[in-house]
Amino acid sequence: MATIRGESGSVQFETGSGSLAAVVGTRSWSLTTTKETLDTSVHGNTFRQFVGSMISGSGTVELVYDPDATGQAAFIEDVVKTGDAADASFELFTTGSSSGSDSVAFGGIITDMEISSTVGELVTVSCSYITSGTITSNLE
Amino acid sequence: MAAADLNTIRATIEGRLATELAKTPPTPVVFHNMPFEPTPNGSFVQCLTSFGSSEYLSHGLSANSRNRIVGLVVINIFSGKGVGPGANYVIGKRIRDLYNRVNVSGVFFDAPIGPEALASPAPEGYFQTQVRVTFESIEEL
Repeated sequence: MATIRGESGSVQFETGSGSLAAVVGTRSWSLTTTKETLDTSVHGNTFRQFVGSMISGSGTVELVYDPDATGQAAFIEDVVKTGDAADASFELFTTGSSSGSDSVAFGGIITDMEISSTVGELVTVSCSYITSGTITSNLE
Repeated sequence: MAAADLNTIRATIEGRLATELAKTPPTPVVFHNMPFEPTPNGSFVQCLTSFGSSEYLSHGLSANSRNRIVGLVVINIFSGKGVGPGANYVIGKRIRDLYNRVNVSGVFFDAPIGPEALASPAPEGYFQTQVRVTFESIEEL
C-alpha cells in the first residue's frame, strides 16, 4: 500500500435500523481516539507510572450539502433523534469501501450538526460525533 | 450519475446567449471555431467558452463523488467606431443580465465582469468591450 490521498476515503453510516451504506458527498472526516490513564504510582516510586484505562473517540464528518445525495439526510438528521440509544453505526474509510479494511468502525452518536450557507460558496454541513462502545480499528 | 458532458455545459451557456441575441434587435453572434465575416460598422458578438481547472469536492474516487468544474466565458462586443459607446453598452447590458445571479441546468454563474472597454480592439475598426463570466458546474459521479 502506498500513501493515500484524502479523496479516496469515504464514510458509511446507518441510523440503527438498516445496514451500513455510503454517505454520498462527504469531503472530510476525522477521528480522535483517546485512552484515559490511571496513576499507579506508589510510595517509593521516583518516576510516575500509569496503566491504560477507558478508551473513547470523537470526531467530525464534513459534507457538501445535497438534499438528494444518498445517505445525507439520514446522517445530518440523526442529531435531532430523540432518546438516542447510540445505535447508529459508523465506518470511516481511508480508502476503498470494503468493510473491515482500511477503516475504523464504531457505534456512536452525532452530537452536533452545523449547516452553513455563504454567498459564493457551496453549502456545507459539519457533524460532530462521539463513539459509544468498541472502536474497531482496521488501519493496518 | 455520469461524468459531466462538457459539450452540454457549453451548449447551455452558448445557447442562452444565442437565444437572447436572436431577439429584436438581433445581433450576430459567433462562437469558437466558426467562420464569420463582420459587417463594417455593424455590431456583433464573439463568445468564447473555455474550461479551466477542476477540483475534487468529495470522497469517493470514481463513484459516489463530486467534482467542481470551472470555466470562463469571454464575450467580446463589437460596435461601430466613432459613434460613442451607447449601442455597445445596450448589448452589454443584455448579456450581463443573461448571466447575472443565474443558475441554469446546474451551471452556476459568478458575478459578471464588465463590459470593459478595450483600448486595442481585435479586429480593428470597431469599438470593443468585453464581458467575462466565470462559471462552475458540479459533476456527480
